[in-house]
This record gives sequence, structure tokens and C-alpha cells, in this order.
Amino acid sequence: MRPAIEPGDWLLVDPSARRWPRRGSIVVFLEPETELIAIKRVAARPGETVSELPVTDPATGEHKHVELQLGPDEAWLLGDAAEHSIDSRRYGPVSVDRLIARAWFRYAPIRRLGRVR
Amino acid sequence: MDRITRWLRPTTTAHAHCDLPCGIYDPEQARIEAESCYKIIEKYEASTDPIFRARAIHIKEERADLVKQHLDVLWHDYFKPEHVAAVPNLHELFWNTTKQASKVKASVDKADAQKLLDLINEVDAAWKKTGGEEKTRVAGRPS
Repeated sequence: MRPAIEPGDWLLVDPSARRWPRRGSIVVFLEPETELIAIKRVAARPGETVSELPVTDPATGEHKHVELQLGPDEAWLLGDAAEHSIDSRRYGPVSVDRLIARAWFRYAPIRRLGRVR
Repeated sequence: MDRITRWLRPTTTAHAHCDLPCGIYDPEQARIEAESCYKIIEKYEASTDPIFRARAIHIKEERADLVKQHLDVLWHDYFKPEHVAAVPNLHELFWNTTKQASKVKASVDKADAQKLLDLINEVDAAWKKTGGEEKTRVAGRPS
């Protein structure tokens, strides 16, 4: 999540979030596949469309790009370091029941004190 | 001060869960372990010593697991969706090759080990076709 979040940052989070926050927000959630507590950015919210997804048609082997319509409780979560991030591009949309909190403020280290953006 | 720091320290860690890939990928790693399996089966066949044969099977199983591990890293970390355009059977190839590695793990038939090597040759061709040799080795593959 560099440069928005650096390893070792201490964050305040809002655990009262029950819905996916607005696009661009940084969220803490239970990651599918690994079941780790992970942190990513909301790239698309419920009902929105994710475009230009590369897929391979299993029937024909054809390589193409498709659009994905998110369900009413799903979000598309991406890491900022796109080249190295393991995120929705691998494990797909994330259901809201995996949302733990929204990260909103960094209180350490002091030189990086401020709102998480 | 220490007490304040301890009090402020977060109690939960969130992972950004990003790979930090070294960027070095080469099917040779899998091939060397697969060749080990082949040679171990030869030695197994040539021996009548039950202890040696038991050790051979144990080591072959370890090597076959390493083949799978190296193939998985190539599949998950080196190959990208855009490579499927250049190698349309990419996923089927890895599926078959890792399945064959599992077969070799349980087999003492040299033909199974040879088939695994043949499949790794196909993986190698896919790696070369997608520029692996130029992109992922520091100075190309040693000749």
C-alpha cells in the first residue's frame, strides 16, 4: 500500500463501518483465501462496474477483457502498488461481511501524522 | 515514555499482503529437481538394498514436491494474464505438469519422470516465448 501506508504505520480505524465506504477509502478486512487481516483501497463499490478485466474464456481459450458488475454487498479492493499487490484481481469481489474497519488516521510515526488518504 | 508508547501501540496488525518478488524466474529450477527424480528412479531400479531403495523413494518424493513448488511460483508469479495470448494453453500446461509431478512423487516408473521432463520443456518454451529469458535472468541463461 505504499506510499499511502508504510510498514510500521500505526493507524486509527473506524470499526463501526457496516457498509463499504466511498471509493478511494482505505479499509481493513478479512482477506479471502488467506484469512489474514489485510488493508487495501476501495476501487469500486456495490453496484458499480469494474471494467477492462483480463480473462480467458474456459470454453474457447480466447483472451479478452470484460466488465464485472459488483453485487449489492460487494467491493473491488486494490493495493496501491499495483504491480506487486495481491488483491481483488486475484481473489475477486469482497463481500461486506469481511469488512472490519475503515482506516482514517495515522498517529505514528509522528513525521507521518495525519489523515490516511 | 515507554509506558505511553506501550499504551499507544496497536494491538492488531493489518497486512498489505504484497509480494516482494525478486523477479528471477526460470523453469530450470523445476527441471533440475525433475532430473533428480529421473536419476533417483534409475538408482532405485539398480539397487537391491531395501534401505537404499527406501531412502531413494523418500528423496524422490521430496524432489517431486520441489518441482511442484517451482512450477507454482512460475505459474502464479511470473506468468501474467497477458501471456495467455502468446501461450493459449498456458493454464492447461501447468495443470498437466503439476499433476505429472504428483504422479512422479508416487511412481518409480522412469517413463513418468521422462513425461514430466517433456512437460517442463513445454513450460520452458512458454517461458522463452513470453520473454522470460531476457526479463527474468540477470544476464540471460548461462550457456
